[in-house]
Amino acid sequence: MTDGRTRRVFVEMFREEWRLHSRLFRGRRFALFPVLIALLAAGTVRLLAVTGTEPGTVFAGLHALAFVFGLHTGSIGLVARDALRNLLGDLTLLVFSARTLPLSQNRLLAVFVLKDVVYYALLFLLPIALGTVPAVVGPGELPGTVPLLWATLTLTFVLGMGATIAGLGLAGRGVAGKALLAAVTASVVAAWLVGVDVVAATPYGAFLAPTAPRLGATAATLLSVFAVGALTFDATDGRQGRTVGPSFRRWRRRVGDPVATKTLLDVHRSTGGVGKALFSAAVLFGVTASLIDLAGQITGVSPSVGVSFGAVLGLSGFTTYNWLTQFDDVDSYLVQPLTVADVFAAKFRAFLLLGPLVGLGVYALALVRRGGPAGEAAVGGVLLVGVACYIFGTTVYLTGLSPNEFLFDTALFAVFGAAMVVPLVPILVVGFVFAPLSLGPLAALGAGGVVLGILGVGLYRRAVPKWSGRYRSG
Amino acid sequence: MTAIQIESLRKSYGDVTAVDGLSIAVDEGELFGLLGPNGAGKTTTMEVLTGQIEPEHGRVAVLGIDPVERPTAVRERVGVLPEKESPPSFVTPREYFDFVGAVRGVPDDEVDERTETWAERLGFAEKLDTLATDLSRGQQQKVMITGAFLHEPPVVFIDEPLANLDPIVQERVKRFLRSYRDAGNTLVVTTHDVDVAAELCSRVGILHGGDLVADVRPSELPAGETLLDVFLDRVDATVERGVPPRD
Repeated sequence: MTDGRTRRVFVEMFREEWRLHSRLFRGRRFALFPVLIALLAAGTVRLLAVTGTEPGTVFAGLHALAFVFGLHTGSIGLVARDALRNLLGDLTLLVFSARTLPLSQNRLLAVFVLKDVVYYALLFLLPIALGTVPAVVGPGELPGTVPLLWATLTLTFVLGMGATIAGLGLAGRGVAGKALLAAVTASVVAAWLVGVDVVAATPYGAFLAPTAPRLGATAATLLSVFAVGALTFDATDGRQGRTVGPSFRRWRRRVGDPVATKTLLDVHRSTGGVGKALFSAAVLFGVTASLIDLAGQITGVSPSVGVSFGAVLGLSGFTTYNWLTQFDDVDSYLVQPLTVADVFAAKFRAFLLLGPLVGLGVYALALVRRGGPAGEAAVGGVLLVGVACYIFGTTVYLTGLSPNEFLFDTALFAVFGAAMVVPLVPILVVGFVFAPLSLGPLAALGAGGVVLGILGVGLYRRAVPKWSGRYRSG
Repeated sequence: MTAIQIESLRKSYGDVTAVDGLSIAVDEGELFGLLGPNGAGKTTTMEVLTGQIEPEHGRVAVLGIDPVERPTAVRERVGVLPEKESPPSFVTPREYFDFVGAVRGVPDDEVDERTETWAERLGFAEKLDTLATDLSRGQQQKVMITGAFLHEPPVVFIDEPLANLDPIVQERVKRFLRSYRDAGNTLVVTTHDVDVAAELCSRVGILHGGDLVADVRPSELPAGETLLDVFLDRVDATVERGVPPRD
């Protein structure tokens, strides 16, 4: 493919992304999304500054967030394989046009990744840089810090995407690939543990000291990661004609509901399996651990592990519900003698079966790693289930069976964010201020978790008639 | 006896009127074709009749049941083959039929028996344990056809039944549809293919602009006149030449 054609594909993909988002997320509202991001970033950072957080800590956190965001966006590799098999139904994106256009799938995916980088750098990372920097540095430092932060956040995002693609590529290369992936990951972790300055070879290192050696090391890291991705990742994935033994009846006997059974089979058999949901929860685990460490550094007091991890890991309810609704749509069920309410009930059942497995599994890992009093651990478990049910109910109420699409609607995103902040902030503050927790606060938090769970189920019940009417209006 | 009754049906999507005052009655034992160009309102009509969407105006009944008031009661008694749907990606055809049997209350042993019969009839026995996402379009269509008939309903709605099928399987499907009709069942086939409608259907309603512009029995057309002539006269005249349709 010539450079001219590559450029043209890039421009069309960019246009496609904009139209997709602006159409999905109600036109002009989507244009406000970067403004909302900038305001949220500015508000959050201002709040952290008031609590005495050092600017350096804020910048470290931002780079960590950009890396996690990149890891998540890189999972397009997961989606691409399935979407190539027409999972997206009527929605056909240019990235999946290799079968009808004289373009290779890997080249299209490369252009798609580049487009994502530019798109999110402009609409997401630039607003973060613009919102954050004025809140933590003086006016004299603004002209230099904003472009540097934006550049290194973007490169960190790129590193996250590349790491996911390379990881998927290696994981798809049999036992040898998996072994190599494990060895590389273990080497990096070991180097970090023994005191090697791993950060120096990352974009964050370049932000801390934008010297020629660090810029060179960052470039080498990025090139290495993407070289591994290019050599190992196969977007077309030649697993044609996969056969499996009949499992539906056996699973149904355990699950009890045919739609819930099919939903869980979808998650289990799609690329990444149940590991997808675990990965999302593991990301939250990492974020929580960073926040707890950060809070401990700022105040010299360690927050309650059980309460903090329990409450934040409850947020995995959103990603779990997202995976449970990723592989079907309500229309496919309405040709059977099923109602929209039946479909929601089945999704709820599947959620209750998968959600605790994911959330509590990672929570148990957190307790093993970080320890903590048994009472706090038990209350953290209650909080996790309560927050997960609450987030499930809120998500269903706001977005029906399409959680991923509509949460990028600026207004819905704001409402959803507020609905999460209102209960979570008081819980985290109590877990922070009163740690170690006495019986009174523990009982209050446990009761709060139960109330949140009940609230979530109530929201879910109110959502069902609302969405039934919408789906049946056509 | 009337199997399907539609009176003054109207359904819009925003500013677009998909069905505009449609009235049709289909008798039991008919193989009725809904023929029309793209956007004529065929699929919307089928979705209203099967209770998937609600109309703004009009009355509809299937086997005497109102699908607006009792959608699942209608869907328990009918089979539906939607045009756009594929079998669920991550289950195999055998598991999909298990799923259909489970939601429709068909005993497992009957599901097994019918699965084998249909797999042999349409030639996909060797694909029964292949993930649906890895099947060709034609194989997926065979699975969807089987799913629509698995519970042996007295009324079946089929959107573009022969799409993606090779000529041999097309003939098998046509033969089966006729035999199913001959057994006293009612079939409604929506298509934009005039040849399919002419060959397959005992009666054809031509839709255009959301309303019925002709209701003909292909076998009773005057000598020298074909269903295509009628279709072009009623639809093409209004679209291409701006000539009002004849009475």
